[in-house]
Amino acid sequence: MVMSDHGGAEAHGGGGDVARLRQVLAHAAHLLPIQGPIGVFVHHNTLHAFQHIPFEQAVLEAGRTFRSEPFLPEAAYRAAQAQGRILDVDIDVVLAREPDADILPGRLTRRQLLGAWLKAGSRTVPPESIPWHLEEGDWLERFRNDLPEATRRALADGSPRALWECCLARVPRAGAPEAVVPRRPADVVEGMDERVHPTLIRLAGAFLDQGVAYWPMPLRCDGFFKACVQLLSRGASVAPQGLEGLRDAFEQLGSARVDAESAVLQCLAELGVPPGDWEDFVTAELLALPGWSGMMALLEAKPGLAPHIIVPTRLVDFLAVRLVLVVTATRRELGGASLWRARRVTQAGPGHLERVAAAFDAAQVLGMGAAALAALDDTRMGRWVDAVDAAGSMERRRILHLAYERRHERLILVPLRQHLAAGRLGRPPGRPMAQMVFCIDDREESIRRAIEEIEPSVETHGAAGFFGCAIDYAGIDDAGPVALCPVVVTPQHAVREGPAEGHADTHEKRLALRRLWSRLVRSGNVSSQTLVRGLFSTIVLGFFSLFPLVLRVLSPLGYARLVRWLNARFLPEPRTELRFMRHDESAREATRGLFMGFSVSEMADRVGNVLGPMGMKSGHARLVVVLGHGSTSLNNPHESAYDCGACGGRQGGPNARLFATLANHPEVRAELRSRGLVIPDDTWFLGGYHDTCSDDIDLFDLDRMPATHEPDLTALRAVLDEARRRNAHERIRRFEVASPSLAPEEALRHVMQRSEHLGEPRPEYGHSTNAVAFVGRRDTTRGLFLDRRAFLISYDHASDPTSRFLGNILGAVIPVCGGISLEYYFSTVDNEVLGCGTKLPHNVTGLVGVMNGMQGDLRTGLTWQMVEIHEPVRILFVVENAPEVVLAVIHANAELKEWLENRWIRLACVDAAKASISVYRGAGVFEPLEGDDVPLPRVRCSADHYRGHRSHLPLARIEPGAATTAACCNRH
Amino acid sequence: MKPLLVLALALPGLLFLASGLAWLAGLKAPEPLVSRVTKAAYLLCFLVFSAEAARLLFFHDPSLDLRLGDWFATAHAHFGVELLFDRLSVPLLWLASLLVGVVAAFSGRYMHRDPGFHRYFNLLNLFGFGAFLVAAAGSVELLMAGWELVGITSVLLIGFFQERPEPVGNALRVYGYYRVADIFLVASVMLGHLWFGGIEFAHLHLPENAPWPEGSWKVTTTALLLIMAACGKSSVGPFFGWLPRAMEGPTPSSAIFYGAVSVHLGAFLLLRAEPLIRASGVAAGTLVALGAASALLGTLLHRSANDAKTMLAHATQTQLGLIFVEIGMGWTGVAAFHITGHAIVRTAQFLRAPSLLHEHHHVHAAAGGKLAPTGEHLEALVPRPLQLWLYRVALGAGFYEAILSRALVTPLKRLAEGLALLEPAAADQPAGTPGHGPRPEESQR
Repeated sequence: MVMSDHGGAEAHGGGGDVARLRQVLAHAAHLLPIQGPIGVFVHHNTLHAFQHIPFEQAVLEAGRTFRSEPFLPEAAYRAAQAQGRILDVDIDVVLAREPDADILPGRLTRRQLLGAWLKAGSRTVPPESIPWHLEEGDWLERFRNDLPEATRRALADGSPRALWECCLARVPRAGAPEAVVPRRPADVVEGMDERVHPTLIRLAGAFLDQGVAYWPMPLRCDGFFKACVQLLSRGASVAPQGLEGLRDAFEQLGSARVDAESAVLQCLAELGVPPGDWEDFVTAELLALPGWSGMMALLEAKPGLAPHIIVPTRLVDFLAVRLVLVVTATRRELGGASLWRARRVTQAGPGHLERVAAAFDAAQVLGMGAAALAALDDTRMGRWVDAVDAAGSMERRRILHLAYERRHERLILVPLRQHLAAGRLGRPPGRPMAQMVFCIDDREESIRRAIEEIEPSVETHGAAGFFGCAIDYAGIDDAGPVALCPVVVTPQHAVREGPAEGHADTHEKRLALRRLWSRLVRSGNVSSQTLVRGLFSTIVLGFFSLFPLVLRVLSPLGYARLVRWLNARFLPEPRTELRFMRHDESAREATRGLFMGFSVSEMADRVGNVLGPMGMKSGHARLVVVLGHGSTSLNNPHESAYDCGACGGRQGGPNARLFATLANHPEVRAELRSRGLVIPDDTWFLGGYHDTCSDDIDLFDLDRMPATHEPDLTALRAVLDEARRRNAHERIRRFEVASPSLAPEEALRHVMQRSEHLGEPRPEYGHSTNAVAFVGRRDTTRGLFLDRRAFLISYDHASDPTSRFLGNILGAVIPVCGGISLEYYFSTVDNEVLGCGTKLPHNVTGLVGVMNGMQGDLRTGLTWQMVEIHEPVRILFVVENAPEVVLAVIHANAELKEWLENRWIRLACVDAAKASISVYRGAGVFEPLEGDDVPLPRVRCSADHYRGHRSHLPLARIEPGAATTAACCNRH
Repeated sequence: MKPLLVLALALPGLLFLASGLAWLAGLKAPEPLVSRVTKAAYLLCFLVFSAEAARLLFFHDPSLDLRLGDWFATAHAHFGVELLFDRLSVPLLWLASLLVGVVAAFSGRYMHRDPGFHRYFNLLNLFGFGAFLVAAAGSVELLMAGWELVGITSVLLIGFFQERPEPVGNALRVYGYYRVADIFLVASVMLGHLWFGGIEFAHLHLPENAPWPEGSWKVTTTALLLIMAACGKSSVGPFFGWLPRAMEGPTPSSAIFYGAVSVHLGAFLLLRAEPLIRASGVAAGTLVALGAASALLGTLLHRSANDAKTMLAHATQTQLGLIFVEIGMGWTGVAAFHITGHAIVRTAQFLRAPSLLHEHHHVHAAAGGKLAPTGEHLEALVPRPLQLWLYRVALGAGFYEAILSRALVTPLKRLAEGLALLEPAAADQPAGTPGHGPRPEESQR
């Protein structure tokens, strides 16, 4: 690389350039994915960088930036139309909300054109195949035969051939496409990225590695750029083909002691990029490998996200290495690094033939034959052609998507109103048998419904799954403390699990045994792969790994049972307790300044803030069970994405256990009583954990429960066990490998097996199919079959006159549920670019992410296996409170206002007493829900509704009191 | 027993034929049926081969040499279809049927709902048949038939995700390696016929039948050709380095091909031809040198690899190099054990590769958050500049591919392009370029 003698930032205009570069990098970084190392997966809006503009515009703009799809393909919407998932009335209503314009005055408007075209469906074919349809197909022989009778009559006089020729003659050719300066060398040099990426990915992967490699990258403590300069300038090396001169380039950088910023500036100068184009250029280069660039940017901003090893990461280092490689490759290919700027790229729009075909199709749909078109004068024909061009595929998909969402809105809200009008299906009066608090997670909807169906006197509630306890937590089996709370919160309080009194010895023994086990497993793994140790271990021990392999593949549950038996037999389990009390007000943890535990008033705050908004202020049941959740699976690098989002992508068991412990504390109860929250003396809280994959429910600290509550627990256990079976039975209808005729007991075994199966790519479907978030009392939705598609957030507006609780709740759930919904949306509409594609070829790299095959980009977003059954709609929030109250609360918070007003979420408000619903239409306008066009089926039990169906189901009302309810799940 | 053996050998091929014909007729068996039938078929093969193995190993019965007739014969030569069930082939058959069966069981779930499910199982069965054929072949000719089936299925499975360019590019590259290696195999068949009237494995060990005097240049040439062919299949020696490229396919196919069966077939060929190699000091020496060099380079690359599959690929390469050394040294028994143990270990590790994160998390937690560091003795013993250089070598994958592409591939490509000028029609680009639309098979769902 020919570097100017006076290397360094000064040569290029001094510190000003560096400052500008930093700014450019900050802007570019904003566009990069913000998914962290994959061990902790937090759902967020994939297009977070575009959230400040309205959704419909943002998806198009992002499409241009990322080359991603904004909506489903047109064919998918056509299929939805064929299935009745989009109706003509939806298209009419959506178009009525769109601006209208005259195309042919008095004869055709924009709405009419789109309406006719979308209802009949456009006949689009790949542009390459148009000649085939003309020459070999029947385009010129007959008109479309799927048009309404009236249209066909209107066309009957003319011939298709004449119409085609008329379109061909009268659709003007667009001017020659504009030739523009390429954004980066790869735009004009074929195979550029293929030359640069293997080396760059190899280096980046080695640098960020968190403990996969036997020999970590030397010098990486000096930062990526310095390490690369040192390593790549070694003598006696051969550069890959196309990167000749690599070593010289890095050697010069090394000997001139150039830093990364200066190296970038030098490269920009050498590539001939004028300062005005820096941002464009840098963005384009970084977006060529968005996954790796994003990981570098993220770990620079939040080094603590690195799971094991913090390496000094800077995006500018990565950019510098990338640009040096690009300069080397460009110079090699073109002879000069800046010569690529002399070339031009043309951006061709749709070709003439494609536009003619569109006009041909539109004319048929409108019933305009050759004669009708010929009758138009040139001005009118010009306007008509422009209008057809403007109603291109992207515009049609946008309208179809809105219609798709509109139908979803009707499918949810109309039956909901009927359900309310038919009267609530509340709990029978009297003290509930038990109260159960679940996470708001959509996956918990079905098990809550199952519990209520089995035992109507149980009450269930939903609260964000960290249960108000944002903690820094370490269990006895954990490697170290982690934050168990939403990612936007930094925990202030440390809670530790430790052995209970008298169990220290057992604990020590357990620790020692686990250490021994980990040493054996690890050295077994390492030694089987090295040279000499590998020789002995594969010859001598290799044969013995046959038995676990065969057992694990052929009988995953058998293997799991064996492991459990071995653990129970040999691994002692101490009784443990949580260290959560802070007696000394100022006791802080030494390293991070965390408070060690909670004071009594802090504990009371936490308990009160969860129970208060739910309306659980008095008259609690004898047993209150709080269940955190998570998901256990194998063959699943994305395992964390299935865990509790409110616990930062981790399992929420400890939070539930802590909450129950706090709520049982006599001093906390006394404090709460003084605040007006009266928990009866005979109420006992139990914490637990629900595994949404295997449907296991584990209850903690049962030995601390008073003996008086044993009978209550036994009764509740029976209910829970039956609910697990029914829940599993409802879940397996989505899994094609599970026969629909499985009995509930077998269904439970099936889901347990999925969780232990080494080759199962969809242990569960996660949040797939999520579509609704209901904020209100459970009584309002109780008895409604919501198909595991709704987040259920308990909120009692009667106990919230100042709407303070509502502000807290919406402030938490709109970003969380909205983020989940949008991540699923984008991973579905463009699984390759915005999602991470099929997981079958995924390869875990450096414990930070997955890539395809051996050298690819880090894949971000969700796998195809996670979203394949998802319906991409923006989440519909249904809030039980007055519209003006809800709007005021949302508008009071700038972030929420952006979510709502830019339409990244949908909103409706419900008044349960009046059975009325108003739907938000933007700009402060609510529209009352009218019409009764969707029926509300009434069934005796959930199973009656879902049995025999694999796809999404409409809402249904589960009528109480049917004599056979308890037994109906066992029928096949 | 004989008909059963032949049936077991042919079973995967019959499955491939049946499913392929059904596919041609526009029928597709439901997924559960495919995976159930496949599992049952390999179970049957496994039982038959187990019985045969017991017969050979525990009852010390003589090996079985089945002549199924001639493929074709002329006055001077004949290509016989001859199966050999002896103490070398039966254990391999046993191992292959077991591992392919396990992988088939794994894949039934893993590949579920993938648009290429049927294609995958067809290829897996064809591979199974090819591997069985290689194992049981009584002569190099028949072995070559199986060898080619294994090669082509391997390539098609690397390029399984055919809508993305990288898998297809890498599949093509591996195909190139295979084809070059095949030239050596064809040459050995030809020269074998010319010089020795054919290489029939059953006769190789018998000293009175050996038509070769020790050290004759003809023997050396033939042995070297076979060694080169074996190197191609096992990614050793001059064919070093393609193994990581083969990681583009679905995980279970990586397991069965590059962890378990396919890569070991090269070593198996050498075990078969071992008397020939032993007869030539040059050939044996070459084999040891190639194996040792591959093992050393392999272990260096393995130590610096940072993703699950590349790491396993290089670890495999390392042990394959050692197996070649063992065969060159004449330790065939050790090599046989090594192949068996290694194939099983790697299959398990490949199948667990997607669960790496889960397992690492547990091991890390059990160790109390502190895992013993690795690579320390390397850092302590090797001087710093040499360390950096070694790491640079590892980053460049030993520079082997860079040198190869410059010295061999590019000149060849130029030549091909030059020749294409004489044939303008061949230089025409096919119309229509694939975009990143939906998977091709999706439209049929």
